[in-house]
Amino acid sequence: MPITWTIGILVSGLIAPPESLLLRDNPNDQGRAIFISWVCPQTESITGFRIFRACSLPGKFIALNRELIIGTEYLDSDTMLCDGVPYYYFIRVYSAYDSVDSPVSGPVVSSAQWFNTDRINVLVLAIIINGLFIFYLLRARHNTRMFIRKINGLDAIDEALGRATEMGKPVLFSFGLGYITDMVVIAALPILRRIASKTAQYAVRLIVPNSDPLVMTTAQETVKEAYTEAGRPDLYNQDNISFLTSDQFGYAAGVDGIILREKPGAIFWLGYFYAESLIMAETGHSIGAIQLAGTTETTQLPFFVAACDYTMIGEEIYAASCYLKPEPIMLGTIKGEDFIKFLLIILISSTVFLGTAGRLLANEAPFLNNLFMAIVNWFIPKS
Amino acid sequence: MSSDLIGTWLAATLTLAIFSFLYRDNPLYRAAEHVYVGISAGFAVIYAWAFDVYPMLVESFKVHLGAKNYFEAYILIIPALLGVAMLLRSIPKLTWISRWPISFTIGIGAGLGLIAAIQGYLLPQIFDTLRPLININNAIIYIGVITTLTYFYFSREHKGLTGTVARIGIIFIMVAFGASFGYTVMARVSLLIGRFYFLFHDWLPLIR
Amino acid sequence: MLYRTGPLILVFGTALLLIIAFFIPHKPFGDLEARFLNWYAIISGFTFLLGLDSLARHHLIKIVRREKGWFYSLLLVTSLFGTLFWGLYSWIRYASPFALNAPFMWLYKFMIIPLQATMFATLAFFIFSAAYRAFRVRNLAATLLLIAACMVMLGNVPIGSSIWAGISWLIHQIFPNTNLEILKRWELFAAAKDWLMAIPQAAAGRGIGIGLALGGIAMSLRIILGIERTYLSS
Repeated sequence: MPITWTIGILVSGLIAPPESLLLRDNPNDQGRAIFISWVCPQTESITGFRIFRACSLPGKFIALNRELIIGTEYLDSDTMLCDGVPYYYFIRVYSAYDSVDSPVSGPVVSSAQWFNTDRINVLVLAIIINGLFIFYLLRARHNTRMFIRKINGLDAIDEALGRATEMGKPVLFSFGLGYITDMVVIAALPILRRIASKTAQYAVRLIVPNSDPLVMTTAQETVKEAYTEAGRPDLYNQDNISFLTSDQFGYAAGVDGIILREKPGAIFWLGYFYAESLIMAETGHSIGAIQLAGTTETTQLPFFVAACDYTMIGEEIYAASCYLKPEPIMLGTIKGEDFIKFLLIILISSTVFLGTAGRLLANEAPFLNNLFMAIVNWFIPKS
Repeated sequence: MSSDLIGTWLAATLTLAIFSFLYRDNPLYRAAEHVYVGISAGFAVIYAWAFDVYPMLVESFKVHLGAKNYFEAYILIIPALLGVAMLLRSIPKLTWISRWPISFTIGIGAGLGLIAAIQGYLLPQIFDTLRPLININNAIIYIGVITTLTYFYFSREHKGLTGTVARIGIIFIMVAFGASFGYTVMARVSLLIGRFYFLFHDWLPLIR
Repeated sequence: MLYRTGPLILVFGTALLLIIAFFIPHKPFGDLEARFLNWYAIISGFTFLLGLDSLARHHLIKIVRREKGWFYSLLLVTSLFGTLFWGLYSWIRYASPFALNAPFMWLYKFMIIPLQATMFATLAFFIFSAAYRAFRVRNLAATLLLIAACMVMLGNVPIGSSIWAGISWLIHQIFPNTNLEILKRWELFAAAKDWLMAIPQAAAGRGIGIGLALGGIAMSLRIILGIERTYLSS
């Protein structure tokens, strides 16, 4: 008799079956999933587990995993699983030579939930923030006097356009690789509109190369409307607001080509940009154009700051978008934003000081640290 | 094998053509640029139809119809109509129809944007800032976040206390931008080395 | 109704449904986000035909009118339609345009990839020209940006530690009481890089991030409520 086989018999006698098999409907999901966990009293010499399921007792149990799993948790989201049906499970533990079964556990029923409790923090913040915004919007309808600080680069739009006109050069506007679903692209549209109405007035050519056809069509409508409003629909040429390519560097190559050949006097980079930002902005600089940039993609802001004359940092582009609108209601949300920022500064400060006090007085007042941890944990984003 | 050889020569020519732009605009760069835009635009169209429109619309419709899942099959008429509505823009009198699909996509952006801003930005950023001031680094993070936020305060002039705090904020922002800038340099240089390796190893076997 | 109100209601309805669906896993809300994103991809696919029309028309006009640079336009149009032809041919012949042995993938491998990689690599030059210009601007912001950039860059490259070894030696020569080995091990540039990235960079990033989140929510709300409607050109 081979020695390994003999040892195998000895070892097999040592495997303990899995215990405390816990079955529950997987929470916060669309249903058809059961979460199973168990305890394995012994971890040595175990090669893995296999989970078995049946829909009645006594009934035929089927194995759910072909490959053995190592952990002591399993999410059964098998396509055959149905909501509302009682299921029974047991776990088989394997060693190199043998296997042992846990007792059968069940029944458990899966179901879909009507509310995802993991997302309650998002819901609470959404209600508070939007509630405050709506409050400020309503207030702004009656309040026409509102102060907004100078936004870097916004005043430079007219200066840049003026210079392009003086030199008789065209103006270039790019949304970068932004999609129509990006809020920054929607925020850039009123700025494009303002630029378009000026270029219509000054009879300067406005070129808008696009990487997304949906953005292109929206830009065409915006520019056309601005030209009509300025009384120069004759100057509008759809061919100037064209599609290039959606390839990141293909777009950069194409825009660089336009910059080198058309030599625009002013360039506006307002939208969503990735690594290509610097290639385009440096080419723009090389031909001596005044450049104004603004993006919400923070990784690209350093490059725009280095290469452009004016850069709108982060949310400044959203504020600029509101600023250009004549309606006072638009400024309401900026007021609201500032108030929420103020609240956040207070919230962050008080929580940070609470946490500091909690650490310093860990023995005297342990509840301070517990309260701090509770607040911090509330802010953890869950799936 | 010969097609690979032709391919390598073509790739090398295009690589040199693009690099030639660093000197100045020239016919070789122009040619490469136009070829690049043309090929990549064509590629994007094929990609969009092969990976999105055909499987999500045509195949999905067939599969659901085959499985007698009529709701899932016929609901696909909505995106198909919205897609066709986009194409109707080409007819001047029907341009307005494209406002519907555009509005639908902007609605998706606004809905997801609102939730994603809270779930993806606000919660993690606040969570990461809530650290007790028990060491100098935590204190710097706290000051950095508060002062940067103050810089983005729009409804008050940056004068007096607000002005001072906002100025500290812009110092943080500039140091952060500098750090990101410096961090990227090496990555870009290694890309350049990668291209030179292609030229001097794959194309002209000068490097072994 | 068809021109203005309808589209505004559609924006409002779509956005509201997605917001509700985020909190409700139960059918029919649970898979609504994925469903709408699929629809968006389908609409986008159709819109690509408009993009194709725009690009081709722009260059065909140049060719027909023999405008300056028409030959390059001819190259573009040929590449565009050639790619479409090979794509469709590969799709029919090999069941997928992206089949590994399809001619379409040859275009990808030997033309698109090298073009992408080379354009990306030109950034190595541009990043230095931008840094050089930032160096010449003499204000506090640009100086801070540049100092931080240099520290992180030196901390990131092998030469940084050699430079630090040199500086350590110099310090040791001036102050012979210092321990050269301890000084060398201190690796100022690498330490400065780690600290700058982990502390001030993260702090400013969070401040900007919180602001962006609020700006984004406000923007979304203005769109949902129909206050921002430039996209409808009104």
